[in-house]
Amino acid sequence: MLMDVVSDLRFRWRALIHRAEVERELDEELRFHLEREATKLEQRGLDAQEARRRARLEFGGVDRVKEETRDARGVRVLETIVRDVRYAVRGLRARPGFALAVIVTLALGIGANAAMFGIVDRLMFRSLPYLRDPASVNRAYLSYSFRGARIVGGSLEYPRYLDLATSPTLSQSAAFRDLDLAIGTGQDSHEMHVDAVSASFFEFFDARPAIGRFFDTSEESTLADAPVVVLGYAFWKTRFGGRADVLGQQLQVGSISATIVGVAPKGFVGSDEVQPAGAFIPLTAYGKSQIPSFDKDYSWGWLAMMIRRKPGISTSAVAADLSRLYALSWQKEQALESRTAPVSLAKPTALVAPLHEMRGPDAGRNAPIILWICGVAAIVLLIACANVANLLLSRAFRRKREIAVRLALGATRGRLMTLLLIESLMLALAAGIAGMIVGEGGQLVLSRLFLPRNATIGVLDDARTIIFACLAALMAGLLTGMAPALQAGREDLVSALKSGAREGVRHRSRTRSALLVAQGTLSVFLLVGAGLFVRSLHKVAGIKLGYDVDKVMYVAAEMRGLALEKEQDIVLKTKLMEEARSIPGVEHVSQALTIPLWQMRRQSFSVPGVDSADHLGQFLLQMGTADFFRTMGTRIVRGRGFDSTDRRGSPPIIVVSQGMAQKIWPGEDALGKCVRVGGDTMPCATVIGVAENIKASDVIDDSGLQYYLSIDQQRPAGAALLVRTRGDAAGLEEVVRKRLQPLMPGPSYVTVTPMREIVDPARESWRLGATMFLLFGLLALVLAAIGLYSVIAYNVAQRTHELGLRIALGAHARDVLRMVLAEGLRFGLAGIGIGVAIALAAGHWVQPLLYQESAQDPLVFLSVAAVLAIVAVAASAIPASRAIRVDPSIALRAE
Amino acid sequence: MADAIDTAKLELPQGTLDLLILKALSLEPQHGWAISERIRQVSAAALQIPQGSLYPALHRLERRGWIKAKWGESDNNRRAKFYELTRTGRHQLEAETDAWRRLTVAVRLVLDMR
Repeated sequence: MLMDVVSDLRFRWRALIHRAEVERELDEELRFHLEREATKLEQRGLDAQEARRRARLEFGGVDRVKEETRDARGVRVLETIVRDVRYAVRGLRARPGFALAVIVTLALGIGANAAMFGIVDRLMFRSLPYLRDPASVNRAYLSYSFRGARIVGGSLEYPRYLDLATSPTLSQSAAFRDLDLAIGTGQDSHEMHVDAVSASFFEFFDARPAIGRFFDTSEESTLADAPVVVLGYAFWKTRFGGRADVLGQQLQVGSISATIVGVAPKGFVGSDEVQPAGAFIPLTAYGKSQIPSFDKDYSWGWLAMMIRRKPGISTSAVAADLSRLYALSWQKEQALESRTAPVSLAKPTALVAPLHEMRGPDAGRNAPIILWICGVAAIVLLIACANVANLLLSRAFRRKREIAVRLALGATRGRLMTLLLIESLMLALAAGIAGMIVGEGGQLVLSRLFLPRNATIGVLDDARTIIFACLAALMAGLLTGMAPALQAGREDLVSALKSGAREGVRHRSRTRSALLVAQGTLSVFLLVGAGLFVRSLHKVAGIKLGYDVDKVMYVAAEMRGLALEKEQDIVLKTKLMEEARSIPGVEHVSQALTIPLWQMRRQSFSVPGVDSADHLGQFLLQMGTADFFRTMGTRIVRGRGFDSTDRRGSPPIIVVSQGMAQKIWPGEDALGKCVRVGGDTMPCATVIGVAENIKASDVIDDSGLQYYLSIDQQRPAGAALLVRTRGDAAGLEEVVRKRLQPLMPGPSYVTVTPMREIVDPARESWRLGATMFLLFGLLALVLAAIGLYSVIAYNVAQRTHELGLRIALGAHARDVLRMVLAEGLRFGLAGIGIGVAIALAAGHWVQPLLYQESAQDPLVFLSVAAVLAIVAVAASAIPASRAIRVDPSIALRAE
Repeated sequence: MADAIDTAKLELPQGTLDLLILKALSLEPQHGWAISERIRQVSAAALQIPQGSLYPALHRLERRGWIKAKWGESDNNRRAKFYELTRTGRHQLEAETDAWRRLTVAVRLVLDMR
């Protein structure tokens, strides 16, 4: 069967490419036949001439036979197309500028879409490499009520995962967590993406280890005391040169020293395609290294749960059963921790969603923005198509005579339309290739915006993206080719032949006008979006956080290989603070228990005279040393912050936020009040100060309920350092790191993170929206301006005769100018009108993505309208100036 | 001669020509004219195929890979294009011959029905 196809293709290929030779052979073959037949007839006694005549008669029409033979070769259609392609190439080569303009315009549109597709596909649609039967795989989410709010999350405690995994509706379940851990020791240690997984994780995939093996359940057991690690393929190649003797070697992964037991196969990424894991460790090994009791209590939710439904069981059935188990698990938790709310109040429910986090119930603010931006990219491609269609149309008008002549000579309209379509498809194909290169570059920029820092993706090495780009190019080719082809299809032969190039332009440019208005409309739509997002971002950036962003950095001491006793830890932190203080440019140094937006701590407390005070809201606990508020830049509104007099043994003190003060002591002075942190039996901590509210859990939604305890008094473990610089912290982080690193014992190390890097991601969605809408909006505007310019310029060129006549008859330059500008402005205004209407209608969907910004903000709409009107006038100004310089004597003599 | 056979001329059912060509080539490679002569002779001139229609059929069969063409010397020392059966062509001939036999038997049974 396959051989048949191959022979068929080979035959057609030869017939197509060596067309002349094949034709010559056919001639010779037929000639031989006729001569042979004639010879036979001659031998029967006919004279030579009569024999030839009879032979020819017997044979039938030679030309018809040839024609039928050609058909039999099965290359008829191909031949025609090849001829059309050659013709189109010749035509385009004659006008390289035109071809280039079309290709560049489409390439920008296709490139933008290919780049966005590559990102969205990975974030939302593509299934993980090697994953068996992806349709039956889901991610489990948990949700419960807490103080009136419904909380949804994809992070499970380890015992919770074990409770849910028993569901009879599941054929498989696995838990995993992606981490950034330092791999290796000393000089060549560096932070990498590591997946902590259950042994069952590997069973979800049809993957065989490249060498060695994956770890099994006994090695993942909480009892296992010899940690193992499976290497990622790329990491194995780069770090170990792909050597087989790595098996059995020790590798330091975070604080765990593990034995290498295997290497995952090439292309196996683990849980996240965007950030392939460099190594896989048993999740129990990591859990133990963090919290020894992680497998018993329900306090640390850190695992994602991947499940496979049994065949024939729906997601809702699985969700129902998981909810049943979750409720049981909740009761187990309640038995351990009596303060847990009862099931009847918390209403614990399990949800079953796609494996892609971005499609889950906990997708965050970025997910809708990314989808919007995909739509925006598609709009840019549409604008590019409209532009190109316009260019092709004006080219078709110029070729009106040629087309009419071809029709008159007997070309069918179908053939002509094919020819025009082929031309635009060829342009689109070239644009598709150029677009992939544009997309490759664009994706470098985009992936930095959308994806984690060490994400590895590309356009040119990804089959799905390339197929997408080809389809986009094909669609663009058909779309742009349609208008000129249809135009050619209903060309009025007689009038076209009779008239010069000039006539008939007016009514036929209706399609072009429509395209132009469409471009203006889409540009308005995008620019309005850009305006709304930019204003929104501006407002988000203006939100008072309650701490400084640019001057503060966060220093974490990562302990490895050894666990410090509490006293040793305090000594180390003190030494680090002293060293940091001695660095030039550093203004204040403090310790802090948590980092805003990253970590949140809660602890129960009671206030004498206030019934269950800590149930009034979600109060966040922070601790700091003497200079804490000065370091953070948080204002103390009343009383004082911490200072060096607050020592161990001195009377316990507490600072509360304004929000907390109002909530617990409404209308009273908080200063001097008593708070018992940890429960009724704890000593009274006296409120010595009231601090401004800060954004501790979210840059937008934050209740402002915080309280602060003194680290010097409480002496908790695991505090981090905050360093405040006199000027901008950027540029100083490496200095700080180098100075502090030598103080770290053994393989331990410090990491320095500027506060900006913590705050910016939280404002990410608005920044993304603003950047992308603005970028694409401007691209759209430029394309629309070029389109408008080319149409007006073309019209002016077509009307040279008329304009010359007007000027000869005494029209003022001003009138001509006004006439041309008005034409451009008309297009602009039509685009503005429709665009504004659409943008107003779509506002409803954009509104949830904005922050304190109305989707109908008149300022944005007016500015965009003004910009578009100005661009419309500017784009027509050049052709207009050409129009008034028309020399009547030349214009009238033309033609 | 042509006048004599006109009355007995048979129209070829669709697709039969291919079968005849394959059969004619089953013994040895032949050029186009020889194929047409052979069919005419063997069928006692009852099957009168317009000679021209042979060539589209030959090219179609070549495209399908059932026959292949080679240039060679003809009996009168002229360059001629010879066609020969390929392996698939031979299988095809067997299959089609078989099918044709079954068809004619079946048709005859129906026609002889009383």
